[in-house]
Amino acid sequence: MFTTPRLILIALGAALNCAIGTVVYLLKLPVFLDSIGTILVALLLAPDRLAAFLCSWAAGWIGLALSGLINPFLPWFAMTDVAISLVAALLCVGAAKTFRNGLVETPPFIGQVLLCGIVLGVVSAVISVPVVVYLFGGVTGSGSALVVAVFLKSGQHLMSAAMLSGLASDPPDKILQVLFAALLYRATPGEFIAMLRAREPEPSR
Amino acid sequence: MTPNGAFTLGAILIALGMGVPGPRGVAVLVVLTLAFAAIEVRGASVIALKRAAMVVLPLAGFMVVVWVGIVGESPAQIAADSAGTRAAALAYVATLCGRLFFIVAVIQLVFLRFAKLTPLQVIRALALPTTLKRVLVITLSLIGTLRHAIDRAHIALIAAGTLTRSPSWRNMIHSWRLIQAVWLSAITIMVGRMRDKWPVEHTIARLDDMLDDAGPAWFSGDDRIWLPLTLGAAVVILVADRIGAV
Repeated sequence: MFTTPRLILIALGAALNCAIGTVVYLLKLPVFLDSIGTILVALLLAPDRLAAFLCSWAAGWIGLALSGLINPFLPWFAMTDVAISLVAALLCVGAAKTFRNGLVETPPFIGQVLLCGIVLGVVSAVISVPVVVYLFGGVTGSGSALVVAVFLKSGQHLMSAAMLSGLASDPPDKILQVLFAALLYRATPGEFIAMLRAREPEPSR
Repeated sequence: MTPNGAFTLGAILIALGMGVPGPRGVAVLVVLTLAFAAIEVRGASVIALKRAAMVVLPLAGFMVVVWVGIVGESPAQIAADSAGTRAAALAYVATLCGRLFFIVAVIQLVFLRFAKLTPLQVIRALALPTTLKRVLVITLSLIGTLRHAIDRAHIALIAAGTLTRSPSWRNMIHSWRLIQAVWLSAITIMVGRMRDKWPVEHTIARLDDMLDDAGPAWFSGDDRIWLPLTLGAAVVILVADRIGAV
């Protein structure tokens, strides 16, 4: 299961999750893009769904643990990463062929990106909301906090306001992440994917 | 104190902080944390507090704007459909930010305890499976590689007029080009290493030997004082306010 190339892939996925935070900061983007590595790891291990789940989960958690040194609030969303890995392995892996070979501007490609992104967005919103409510009182430092404030002002309770805000802001972010992961998957050399599928050779010292 | 002991102690302190004990429990928790800071981290504790303030203050400011400025009442008042006050909203924000500050400060204290060690030495000392330690070391190395790749690609794309330094629509539209350049750079480097460099230099085997060599015990030295003390204090923290209530 965990051959050396797959361990490297886990490390790459975790490093990508951490590094994209730098890209978002440099380009001042109003999105998170913090799970592209997790989704990409699952896609690269298609069609082996079990390996895709376990490796993307490992990549997500290692990324969270290391990012936690810079942003100490990220590790609290560990369960969200498990859910993202699960959805990526069950749903996104099914779309791997379209993402790899299909034309980008065709309905199947766009449809799969939208479907995977919306499902990922809804699932991650549902899992994240209790953490957001308990740890941050429903208001994190992101722009979606203003949506929470609007819902609270309209008389919604905290949990439902945070849930509605999450459901409004997470799907667009996750659609973008699935699109980026699919584009990176298309660009990944076949040689690397072949290494991931090969069995581990006997170690020679 | 070992990294295992410090991380375990940090996890217990954060769990207790999240348990939101009453005022007596909070007092014991703060005293215990300050004792850890003074004895184990010493002068670097000031750095931990500064870093925690730098992380929490902007968030606190944003929360004040949202809760006190826009919403103007606390969640409890909203839930009870009672008249809201900005003072209650401010108290709510203060409680939340106090807890967040504590969490960040504890994490910083734990890591600053080993500030003199390199990340490799800290990972080596952890009582984790070698495979996991190997992945952690490679990940840390890759993060450095990716950061350099980001810097190079970012500057190149700005020079080419594809991206801008300030926020812009162009950045939104072309951000994927930067991410793709970074990913391709990382993949090319890793394929080269796995196919050509590592097998010749036996890198993975050497790394495993180095990580395995330490054979660290889970807890040793001062861990045997700090952990029983913390667990004892945890019992006091959890029951202190209940006794007061009875």
